[in-house]
Amino acid sequence: MSELAFEDVTVRFGNGRRAMTAVDGVSLTVPSGAVVGLVGESGSGKSTLARAAVGLTPVSGGRILLDGRPLRPRGRRPLQMVFQDPYSSLDPRMTIGSSIAEAIPRGAVPGAAGRRDEVARLLELVDLPADRAGCYPAELSGGQRQRVALARALAGRPDVVIADEITSALDVSIQGTVLNLVRDLHRSLRLSMLFITHDLAVVRYVSDYIAVMYLGRIVEYGPAESVLQDPQHPYTRELLAAARRPGRSAPADLDTAPAQVADAEPADPHHPPSGCRFHPRCPAGPLVHADRAVCRDAAPTGDGRRNRAACHFADRAADRADTPPPGGPPGDPRS
Amino acid sequence: MSSTTASTAVFAHLLGNPWLRFAARRLGQLLVSVWVLVTGAFLMIHLIPGDPVRAALGNTAPVELVEARREALGLNNPLWQQYADYLRHLFSGDFGTSMLSGMPVSQVIGDRLPATAELAVLAFALAVVVSIPLGLAMAVLTRGGRRRPVELAFTSGSVLLAVVPEFLVAVGLVYVFSVELGWAPVAMRQGASSYVLPVLALSLGPASVLARIVRVETLAVLQAEYIRTARAKRLPDRRVYLRHALPNALTATITVGGLLLGGMVAGTVLAENVFAWPGLGSTIVSSILAKDYPVVQAVVLVYGLGVLLVNLVVDVALALLDPRSTIRES
Amino acid sequence: MTSRARWAGVLRTPVGAAAAVLLGAVLLLAVLAPLLWGGRADEVDTARILQPASAQHWAGTDNLGRDIFFRVLVATRTSVQLALLATALGVAVGLLLGTAPLLLGPRLGRLVTAAVNIAVAFPGLLLALSFAVIFGAGASGAVPAIGLAIAPGFARLTQTLSATVAGRDFVAAARIAGVGRFRVLLRHVLPNIAEPLLVNATMAAGGSLLAFAGLSFLGLGVQAPGYDWGRLLGEGLNGIYLNPAAALVPGVAVVLAGLAFNLVGEAAAKAVGPRTPTGTVRGDSFEDGPPAPVDRTGQSEAVLVVEDLKVSFGTVTPVRGVGFTLRRGEAVGIVGESGSGKSLTALAVAQLIEQPGRVAARRLDFLGDDLLRTPPRARPRLLGTSLAMVFQDPTTSFNPVQRIGRQLAEVAEQHLGDRRGPALARAVDRLRAVRIPGAARRARQFPHEFSGGMRQRAMIGMGLMGEPKLIIADEPTTALDVTVQRQVLALLAAVRAADDVAMLLISHDIGVVEQVCDRVLVMYAGRIVEDLPAAQLRDGARHPYTRALLGAVPDLATDRDQPLVVIPGRPADPAAPPPGCAFAPRCPLADDHCVRADPALLDDGLGGRVACWHAGELPEPVRAGAAVLSAATEGEGR
Repeated sequence: MSELAFEDVTVRFGNGRRAMTAVDGVSLTVPSGAVVGLVGESGSGKSTLARAAVGLTPVSGGRILLDGRPLRPRGRRPLQMVFQDPYSSLDPRMTIGSSIAEAIPRGAVPGAAGRRDEVARLLELVDLPADRAGCYPAELSGGQRQRVALARALAGRPDVVIADEITSALDVSIQGTVLNLVRDLHRSLRLSMLFITHDLAVVRYVSDYIAVMYLGRIVEYGPAESVLQDPQHPYTRELLAAARRPGRSAPADLDTAPAQVADAEPADPHHPPSGCRFHPRCPAGPLVHADRAVCRDAAPTGDGRRNRAACHFADRAADRADTPPPGGPPGDPRS
Repeated sequence: MSSTTASTAVFAHLLGNPWLRFAARRLGQLLVSVWVLVTGAFLMIHLIPGDPVRAALGNTAPVELVEARREALGLNNPLWQQYADYLRHLFSGDFGTSMLSGMPVSQVIGDRLPATAELAVLAFALAVVVSIPLGLAMAVLTRGGRRRPVELAFTSGSVLLAVVPEFLVAVGLVYVFSVELGWAPVAMRQGASSYVLPVLALSLGPASVLARIVRVETLAVLQAEYIRTARAKRLPDRRVYLRHALPNALTATITVGGLLLGGMVAGTVLAENVFAWPGLGSTIVSSILAKDYPVVQAVVLVYGLGVLLVNLVVDVALALLDPRSTIRES
Repeated sequence: MTSRARWAGVLRTPVGAAAAVLLGAVLLLAVLAPLLWGGRADEVDTARILQPASAQHWAGTDNLGRDIFFRVLVATRTSVQLALLATALGVAVGLLLGTAPLLLGPRLGRLVTAAVNIAVAFPGLLLALSFAVIFGAGASGAVPAIGLAIAPGFARLTQTLSATVAGRDFVAAARIAGVGRFRVLLRHVLPNIAEPLLVNATMAAGGSLLAFAGLSFLGLGVQAPGYDWGRLLGEGLNGIYLNPAAALVPGVAVVLAGLAFNLVGEAAAKAVGPRTPTGTVRGDSFEDGPPAPVDRTGQSEAVLVVEDLKVSFGTVTPVRGVGFTLRRGEAVGIVGESGSGKSLTALAVAQLIEQPGRVAARRLDFLGDDLLRTPPRARPRLLGTSLAMVFQDPTTSFNPVQRIGRQLAEVAEQHLGDRRGPALARAVDRLRAVRIPGAARRARQFPHEFSGGMRQRAMIGMGLMGEPKLIIADEPTTALDVTVQRQVLALLAAVRAADDVAMLLISHDIGVVEQVCDRVLVMYAGRIVEDLPAAQLRDGARHPYTRALLGAVPDLATDRDQPLVVIPGRPADPAAPPPGCAFAPRCPLADDHCVRADPALLDDGLGGRVACWHAGELPEPVRAGAAVLSAATEGEGR
């Protein structure tokens, strides 16, 4: 298994006034044999980063390295990807067997019989009966399709697998099956994996490391336990507060953020804010603490900070957002 | 220095206005289309295999006459120079001279254009005025699988009308109303009654297609979640259909059916030939047959401009109806 | 259904069958007519020139005394042949241009697309006339003229279709696997767009048949002594007063042939187009299920009382007898998977089920008024002001072409009798109440200028235009980012607390419901299977489905070393409810009795209701461990 490293990767779309920097100087390492969970909200650039890694989206700056060597600019890469929507990721006109066989590298297994056996082996690996190879995707349920997509990714003999929101299109009763499978495959094959999702609870369940992305930048990265137990970046803390946890919440606990933060507009990726990109929504930033103009002016780096948290005030524990919010709970909307 | 920065600032500010940006973009698009059209019309003559002058004058014409005509038309000059001359003449309103009659082409166009324009505008208006209420009413009546017989009658009727081309509709109308009933004149442009059949012939097909599109789009819009929102507000049906469904159905209709209206411009050619209408349509056919190329070139140009104009109107209507379209960069 | 079966299905529809027969007849005539009647069609009879229709000459004779009827029959071959030739040319050129962007890459591709877009703007007839000038009058000129005229439209269709397919993930997966552009086109794109293209080519053939007739009619197509329908029509029109049949017969022939091609295309388009799933017809319906029990606790304070609610679409009944009561200020959540009927329950309560859906209930009372029996005219005001709805996707729930303020103000104008000005002022006030910054400015904006979270706030604000007693929120946070979800839930909670408003929250996420609701209703296959206080969810859930739902999705307290709980099999198909407990096929506790008999929703005496023969029992320990995984996946693998 191999180590995947993004070095200062930038991805830009469009030009002129429509230009948008979806990924902005991201450096991230997926250590050999580890699962890195990448979390962020929609528009944070996490899927773009994945597509750049597998070569679906051209990189505007920086390098993507596999075991220290740059990836080939075009052609087959030793990376495979599993997509979000299992209804769109399998060709409806192809049997699942030929979809999987297509991904087997040329020369990897000799002859048609060899390919057939390989397809059967892969199907069994994802807990599907081998005789399903002749089925069309329409005959399978969403969960089964997602397992076929996993089998296809494994057919490419990848060094690294990228999973992009692979459970979010599935029904709740099916999600568990796919997550269990991901964990089992990781354990038995020691796969390196970049696991992308918006759900911190899901990431926690499968990942060894967690990276948090906001508006094209990685704002925190570290071992899963460390990021979850002792989050450094205010955005990570916000995600953590929003994540699913057992039990009932009082209305006031649902949204503890100060009013000026809760009512802030989400940033427009076409016109990202200056300085720290999180500052217009940050409970530890200039909205709440008037003296913190530095957040507007300078982009923080994570160098030398715990969990590489890209926040000017990450190490000042006293300034955490869990101090009583000045805005108080949401006011009476009927007044 | 300061004036340039000021003007850049003004320019940047103007670019910030979505309507100006839309106008600039659409104007650019129009200019490119016009250029393509003009160049196409110019090349059309040069792509004709053999010598167009020889073809026009016939094999018996003396060599000197052909040569003199070629010289007069500038056909002996290098191609780029002919192109430059052509563009220059166009800008000064000079479309050349008819090879057949010797009249200036611009005069031929001037004589013939009003008849065609009247026909096209009336047919266009009739098609729009008939199809929108009809399509909306049909959608409301047949939504959610109600009134199957009405739906069947409407769809089969409109398919039939849409398939039959305008010149056959014209022939049918002539047969019924002129030959059998004697209500309308068979041909020519004399008095208001002579307009009825040509306008009907031209607009029936497009009107039925448009009505069908309006119905389909309205049915789609009625499924939309914002219609459910409107119903959740317990608005009366009339308001739901007219205020919430119709504007959205119209934007979709214009997007799909806009090209159809442009097609009506060309449809006049056939209708005019059935009714011996003294417009551009009968001119272009006789000119093609007589190989009077300057006239053909000019008429194609005028038709093309008409189509581009209709498309422009359609796009502006779309921009006015749909607030998102000015933002959406195409 | 395979594609062959679908095409065969076309022939079984009346329109499809008629069109196919018609098309077959036209093609047969094209082959046979010149062989059978070629001689009679060319037979000159100078004694019978320009005769009107008679028993001898059904459509009269032309200026050389030839029989027009036979000429029309014989002309079938020329007309059809030329039309097909032109179509073939147009389709070929269109395919080349349409797939070029995929093969040439983005830069050159954009150029081709732009060129096609300009060409498409010009009507086909104009293009055909221009090409006719270049290629000259005559059949050999008209074929390329018409072919090239239909090419841009076909190219554009190919482009749009292939761009849609090329944007789908399976093409991305193929590219990741190193499949080249040309192979992607052949293996993945073309097979997926072949059917609509074929349908369109069929219609294009009809179109070019008519166009050819038009050109020949104008004298630019087939030249004498050759003849096709258009030419015969043009000749016949000159004598329409003397012999109408000479113009009408070829006209009818053109229309019939054109119709044949077009109808076959239409019928095929219906068959291959996006199909809406239709429920399979089943004889036994919900009728003989156990009666839904009545929940009569505290109905005096009830905002909403629902008893035995059923929603059906034709023979399918996705909601099969649901009953619950909502008291003033109470928050009740309904959880379930997609297809469990939870959203339909909400829509039925709100009286928003549209035909062909049908709603039936033993009782459906809102604020003491019987909604099923109140005359419809009396209802709008009550529902419009006392019942607020919040839908799942705020992007599509607002009318895109109306300003937000107007959409709110409409409620006040309609139900409170406000004039335009005061209604708008109230709308701005309500936007402020849901904490939308710059409310007055934002009221003048269109929905697309709002972010998702702000739009959902505006939606809640719309509900506050009246004096709501009940808010029905159907997956209100599903389409939003996690951090925004929390804000919307908090806002809903604050609105409720402020005026003791009851709330019915629909969600697939049992965690969300647990967080904000007092009571949880768990729905499965159109029934409530468990009803319990939210506080008892973790320890007091008695239905195996409820327990499985809690364990199937990880939360921040899930044990990372244990596999997640798995619910084997697929969610129940609402079209085919089993005779017994609908959850039995996926249930670890199920036995023969469960499969045969449907358990009723019974009061458990602890403040909850549960519908399970084994309520509260624990599955055998071996099933809780890793063995569940393999058992589960085999179950799903059928």
